[in-house]
Amino acid sequence: MERQNRLLVSLGWTVLLVVTAVGLGAVVIRAVRGLGVTNLNYIVPWGLWVAFYIYFIGLSAGSFLLSTLIYVFGYKKLEPIGRLALFSALIALLAGLFFVLIDLGHMERFWTVFKNRNWWSVLEIEIHFYVLYIIVLLAELWLLMRQDLIRCAQQGTDWRARLCGILTLGSRDLSEASAARDWRIVRILGLLGIPIAIGVHGGTGAIFAVVKARPLWYGPLFPIIFIVSALASGAALLTFLLAFFAGRGLDPEQRRDLVITLGRLTVGFLLFDLLLIWSEFSVGIYGGIPEHVEVLRLIMFGPFWWVFWLVQLLFGAIIPIFLVLWPPTGRDPRVVGLAGLMVVIGIVGVRLNIVIPALNLPVLPGFHEAYTMLPAPTQVVPALTETQIRTVTWLVVLAAIVTLGIVAAIAWAERTGRPAYRQALGVAAMVSLFFFVLLLVLRVAGTSAALGVSVADLTRTPIGGVFGRTEVRSYYTPSLNEWLSSMGLIGLSIFLFVVGYQVLPLETHEGH
Amino acid sequence: MSNQQTVEPTQVVEVETIDSVPEDLESRRRFLAKFGSAVFAGLMAPAVLSKEFTPPVEAAEASPSRRFPDVPVRLPPAIELDEESSVIDRMLADLRRALEKRQRGEKVRFGMAVDLQKCTGCRACTVACKAENVTPPEVSYNVVLEQEVGTYPNVRRVFMYKPCLQCGNPPCTPVCPVGATWKREEDGIVVIDYDKCIGCRYCLTACPYGSRFIDLGKSYTDPLQPYEQIASPEYGENRVRATGQSPVGNARKCHFCLHRIYQGMLPACVETCIGRAIHFGDLDDPESLVSELIAKRPHIRLKEELGTDPSVYYLL
Repeated sequence: MERQNRLLVSLGWTVLLVVTAVGLGAVVIRAVRGLGVTNLNYIVPWGLWVAFYIYFIGLSAGSFLLSTLIYVFGYKKLEPIGRLALFSALIALLAGLFFVLIDLGHMERFWTVFKNRNWWSVLEIEIHFYVLYIIVLLAELWLLMRQDLIRCAQQGTDWRARLCGILTLGSRDLSEASAARDWRIVRILGLLGIPIAIGVHGGTGAIFAVVKARPLWYGPLFPIIFIVSALASGAALLTFLLAFFAGRGLDPEQRRDLVITLGRLTVGFLLFDLLLIWSEFSVGIYGGIPEHVEVLRLIMFGPFWWVFWLVQLLFGAIIPIFLVLWPPTGRDPRVVGLAGLMVVIGIVGVRLNIVIPALNLPVLPGFHEAYTMLPAPTQVVPALTETQIRTVTWLVVLAAIVTLGIVAAIAWAERTGRPAYRQALGVAAMVSLFFFVLLLVLRVAGTSAALGVSVADLTRTPIGGVFGRTEVRSYYTPSLNEWLSSMGLIGLSIFLFVVGYQVLPLETHEGH
Repeated sequence: MSNQQTVEPTQVVEVETIDSVPEDLESRRRFLAKFGSAVFAGLMAPAVLSKEFTPPVEAAEASPSRRFPDVPVRLPPAIELDEESSVIDRMLADLRRALEKRQRGEKVRFGMAVDLQKCTGCRACTVACKAENVTPPEVSYNVVLEQEVGTYPNVRRVFMYKPCLQCGNPPCTPVCPVGATWKREEDGIVVIDYDKCIGCRYCLTACPYGSRFIDLGKSYTDPLQPYEQIASPEYGENRVRATGQSPVGNARKCHFCLHRIYQGMLPACVETCIGRAIHFGDLDDPESLVSELIAKRPHIRLKEELGTDPSVYYLL
């Protein structure tokens, strides 16, 4: 068992390192060759990278806001994950900023945002929010870890102790009074941090909400949706981390309790998020303004309908909500943790659907044909035929249904108390989940222009007939470099997170 | 430095024929360096430096708040207008009045009136613009939108030339995080400072008319042919495209051929239009052709309801 675990861990590390190395190679290629390596164009100027940018900013703001429950509102039950929440907020913010950086046409000029001022730009305001936010995060983290860092520095003479010593910044005070003072400052910082974190992600939503040229974005609901989905993704991330990695030192019962609490919190935010999405879609469709409806139809029935229905709704919301709320599955912290992971992945779909479809609709009728320098999707020879792609699509649906069925079966087995079945079904569920993810990846790869697949063929989709089809074609699918660079940056962030988690005293119990 | 010196001898002769050569040595050095950096220096320099493409040299000096082109304005010739005068003559006379106003320090507001009845959809404007501004693939400052109306036998095609509409209240400028794009108060043209622009493309998403483009560093030819390495006279800056150097990686847009206007020439698309469908002039001048056409003819502006106040009017 021990040996198996070690094997699994080293396998995980190898995969992570390989993916990160390849991905960072892609980032270098992008840096050298410029934006030409992407499939971005004048119709869809923002793509995968911007989607990941708002995704990670959301994860960050969500984690941070969750930490304020503890340090500002005194919800002590969550205290064991407080530092973890702050640290993942920090790493997620860095990841988000990495993505903005590689998305710039002139990366070397990123610092000029502090020199060349345009106070009326939401993006400029945001950058200041990010800076303030980083300061608050670092200060809070340091204050919370201060005493543990001192203890860590005093305990050993190895490199970790020396690092801890440097990180204490010369502080030696281990008294109760100083700890109480730290808490007071953290509380004030957390209080300051709330509007800042709302500014960080609500403002990121406002970047889109102020663009009157895009009906889907333009409106007062958008920043709110951003904040709510941020809370959902932040809570989900912590649920997952706590269920599988963090909180080792906690009493198992306490840990289980905490995971389930976080899972329910996630579901609460998710349900509110779904309500907002419903509001957005129903009002938009009812209004019937062509530019607005077309974008909504594109999301629901366009070439990437499955991102909305399967990734965002089924995989990212409905199944996790079911897993958490249904008592038989909702009692198992591992299942709840898995639900958290599913939400974390599903929110990627939300972000993609925010950024790309709204841009994909040409701003003026005939604009897309007016100037034909865009790579014409219809002239590309498909690497997979339409039938094959459709088959894969249906397999994805099937795999999702099977996963759901198996989960139901586990629950049933638990209720009737047959433990042998449970293990077998657990394995089956993992296998099914794996296939679901694999097929999704295939579906993505299959439609990627990098592999030369025509997206024009995909406008007719299996469930497109429900409300009628949209004939709007897709002008953008991420290029291979965009995918690899993204994987590289995400890998790098995970790497930073794991290293930080191993080195820093992020668990509260340490030294107590 | 050695680069400059090798280029200097061949260049000096050409440069000296231009009347707006900077007097002091330092600015001349920089001016020459700009051309010196061109790969084709020896071969293409005479063509680039021909009288037609004379850059307003002072503009190349980047000041903190850049005002291109900080001109020695060159007026179009004074033309006696009569019944027989062409549309071009009329517009040149309008431009002369507008530039005289500018020389007196008064503001003008350049705009266009596009006669949809006269547009034949030949796209000479698009080609002229590409040739003038040396724009790469996927960047085209003006496009001709095309729509079919009706069914056979009652059918027709509608063509609509669309440059940047130089909005009175542009949605693209306030979003820029570095203030690299703004509407010029003195003549109403929306410009981009390529050296400031970080290439975030926020302005592309914010423009309701698709008038902004991103220079992705692509080229038409491989290996690059000399005609793709000509310096673009935009903003009087004479930049040659190269990987990692502006304007590659920047947002780009139509600027009504700012560099031509202040040298007494009409924008390239206006001058080339075979149907004389595009009219250019000062909207604040009640006697200009554009003002007259807008007053006399029924017209629309695109997406006026967004409050953008476009300076391009479409005559129906």
